[in-house]
Amino acid sequence: MIRIFHNTTFDFIRWWRQAAIATIAFIVLGLGSFLWSGGVNYSIEFTGGTLVQVAFKQPPDVAELRRVIDAVAPGSEIQQFGTNLEYTIRARLEGAGDIAGSTEGVTGAVRKALDAKYTPDGYVIARREAVGPKVGEELRRGAIIAMVLVSLVTLLYLAIRFEWRFGLAAVLSTAHDVLLTIAFIKLLNIEVSLVVVGAILTLLGYSGNDTIIIFDRVRENLRKTRKESLYDTLNRSINETLPRSVLTHATTLLATLSLLFFAGEVLRPFAAVMTFGVFVATFSSIYVAGPILLYIERKYPRTVTDKSTIASASQAKAEGRSEARSERPAPRPSGRPTQRPATR
Amino acid sequence: MSNLKYRVALIVALVAASLWALFPRTVIERVKRGDGFAYDTVRRVPLKRGLDLQGGMHLALEIDESKQAVADKSDALDRALKVVRTRIDEFGVAEPDVRKVGDSRIVVELPGIDDPERAEQVVQKSAFLQFQITDETQALDKVLPRLDQIVREKGGAAAAAAAPGDTTRRTQVSAIPNLFTPGDSAARDSTKGDSAAARPTTAGPLSSLIQVGQFPGEYMVAEKDVRTVESYLSIPEVQGALPPGKVLRWSSDTMSLGAQPYRPIYLVEARPIITGEYLTDAKPNSDPIQGTVVEFTLNNEGGRRFRTETGKHVGDYMAIILDDRVMGRPPVIQSAIGTRGQITMGSRDLQDAQDLALVLRAGSLPVPLKVAEVRNVGASLGEDSINKGTTAMVIAVLLVVGVMMGYYRFSGMLAVVALVLYVMFTLAILAGFDAVLTLPGIAGLVLTVGMAVDANVLIFERIREELDRGKTVRTSIEEGFQHAMSAIVDTSVTTILGGAVLYQYGTGPVRGFAVTLIAGIIASLFCAIFVVKTFYMIWLTRTRSVQTLSI
Repeated sequence: MIRIFHNTTFDFIRWWRQAAIATIAFIVLGLGSFLWSGGVNYSIEFTGGTLVQVAFKQPPDVAELRRVIDAVAPGSEIQQFGTNLEYTIRARLEGAGDIAGSTEGVTGAVRKALDAKYTPDGYVIARREAVGPKVGEELRRGAIIAMVLVSLVTLLYLAIRFEWRFGLAAVLSTAHDVLLTIAFIKLLNIEVSLVVVGAILTLLGYSGNDTIIIFDRVRENLRKTRKESLYDTLNRSINETLPRSVLTHATTLLATLSLLFFAGEVLRPFAAVMTFGVFVATFSSIYVAGPILLYIERKYPRTVTDKSTIASASQAKAEGRSEARSERPAPRPSGRPTQRPATR
Repeated sequence: MSNLKYRVALIVALVAASLWALFPRTVIERVKRGDGFAYDTVRRVPLKRGLDLQGGMHLALEIDESKQAVADKSDALDRALKVVRTRIDEFGVAEPDVRKVGDSRIVVELPGIDDPERAEQVVQKSAFLQFQITDETQALDKVLPRLDQIVREKGGAAAAAAAPGDTTRRTQVSAIPNLFTPGDSAARDSTKGDSAAARPTTAGPLSSLIQVGQFPGEYMVAEKDVRTVESYLSIPEVQGALPPGKVLRWSSDTMSLGAQPYRPIYLVEARPIITGEYLTDAKPNSDPIQGTVVEFTLNNEGGRRFRTETGKHVGDYMAIILDDRVMGRPPVIQSAIGTRGQITMGSRDLQDAQDLALVLRAGSLPVPLKVAEVRNVGASLGEDSINKGTTAMVIAVLLVVGVMMGYYRFSGMLAVVALVLYVMFTLAILAGFDAVLTLPGIAGLVLTVGMAVDANVLIFERIREELDRGKTVRTSIEEGFQHAMSAIVDTSVTTILGGAVLYQYGTGPVRGFAVTLIAGIIASLFCAIFVVKTFYMIWLTRTRSVQTLSI
């Protein structure tokens, strides 16, 4: 059989500082850019406004198109959409406007201007979206409530599922994933539409998956071996679950990448966010969740009563312990001080 | 092994049910025929496609309270819903969906509509028809000097607001009640500069822009000055100084006098002699002299009233006012008019007349509605989305199949068969629950193809570990499924919870995504755990002495 990453003994946790610096730098850069370049690029679903997607028969001159549109709908954004035949025109609604006037106004004005310039047969309005300020606000509120609810529900589930140290570490690593994804969205100036919010929510559910798998193994290994430091147990668990982490993420990445490359322009932001998110989820389950768990265990070591729940199980397996340990060579890399405070 | 029999029976039953749910059946739908689209009966898979895939319009309307507050919103909306439904039914779209959402919104969904903007106008038109007698007393001429004075006093503010390029002006103007109906902003923008330049600085800022028309109550304003006049008339003091019991109404059309276009404005009696509520029928017609007209019939009571009122006003001019706009030029009343009459639409084309007749027949909206949200997707873009989504789906499936078969060989093959069943089950669930497949829904489907095999990966890896420990194939499989179970359930639960919340708070296409995600996860759980396990069980019973497992 083919095996990848079989019986590996990488010391993942050792690199936690470098990983932390890299990820914090990315988050700071992404979230910091909110300060000097404003918020994220919300779609008109959230801001209210009008989007007109025009498909031309002949590639238009962009500067000219911009001039034509600017004359009737000043301040609107014009963007190429996929090929050089399609463009989107976005007119955002600033403040409280009257959509009844502005919707028909913008679409009608754009249509009239395009009719004059490119003749009615020279283009097709492929898509049009107009969202009033009230609906925009509702959607915005809905998105925020959904985000908070999903976070709470996931948090609650993880907290119930694991004891609090694991739960907290899993939740923090999930939060890290979301922050990183938001930074990514901001840095690439991806338009935040409802579908992208959907991607973030899916990631909230998904990013915990790998952490759950690793922590499951950690829990199992903790029961087996009492002498090993948590540091080693973590590393061993990550190494043991490495093939499945790689494979599960690889198949999911294959799906998101095919969406990214083949599903067209409309789904591209969604696919980009998902791809990044899946990638980050892999990273964080190893470099974020693990070190955080280690930190929590050091800061709040288990009390005797806490221990007894696992101890009773590990007592039973005490005989098999030496065998379990020998199962893996687990040599400590020489670069690291051999004596680490063992938490157990 | 009876347990195995039941398992196989269940899988076969589910496959049969899915096939039945997805079996192509005869439906009426829009098909592409040559250049255009036509309705036809076709046999196709009964998966409901969302508006973003088949093309169409989603329209959300809400009560427009900018002019006056509405007391009982829910009741008003119910009445409006009836009118909107009648109009849409007459509009002629296959499978329109008109429904009330919550207490404040009407949602109209029109699959495969060609001319969404026209539908939007038909739905939104108040269609409030009034017949009002134009003023005979030259009341406006008498108050004009007074109005000029007010404009001059208040002029500073008005002039500043009317300055070209000032964006505040637009919102200010659109807040004018009654006098201003959103028209064509292109025309407005182009007149902006001219009107400011042409505005006289000396006497009579208002009266210099208004010329007396051809009969009493009619006045002409050059098209380029319309905005300026509107802004002057919007000044509250000006409104207050207008002749009591009279109102000013713009014409819906412009007239050419000499080389210049003019827009007539009429001073009419505020009290209508009759309104459109008595109307029983309206139909478009084309008249060689008057151009396009809409002929209407009133009911008996309306006819009686109309006859007495017009009898009193023989020789006067009667303005036919639709949604506060004067339609055509007010005709002179020759003699008492009975139950029949017509609205002249001048040079407008027959389609406008058809739409007007339609909305008049359906009745006026009890409350003004405004568009809260519109989404419309052209049929060709929808088709394109389906094609691209399908391509992505096929490629994703092929890639995943490649990885699974390449890496896990025989076991991978079992997982692939389960994956095929998974796609079938998911689509069947969507078809069975009448869920709508949207573009984000396709994305969800593609995504879950990648996630569906995750459970298999977890199980297979665990089986490998058990085999490494020297356990027999049989025990390894058994324990592999057992140990991987908790992690699989955990990961599925979090994703489903996320999907459920998304469904609750998402709208339209995003809901489609949530539905596919949830359906997909449930189907994938079943396939990965139950179906693959059954396959293993079949394999184990078939080959008695199993020594090795290709995994």
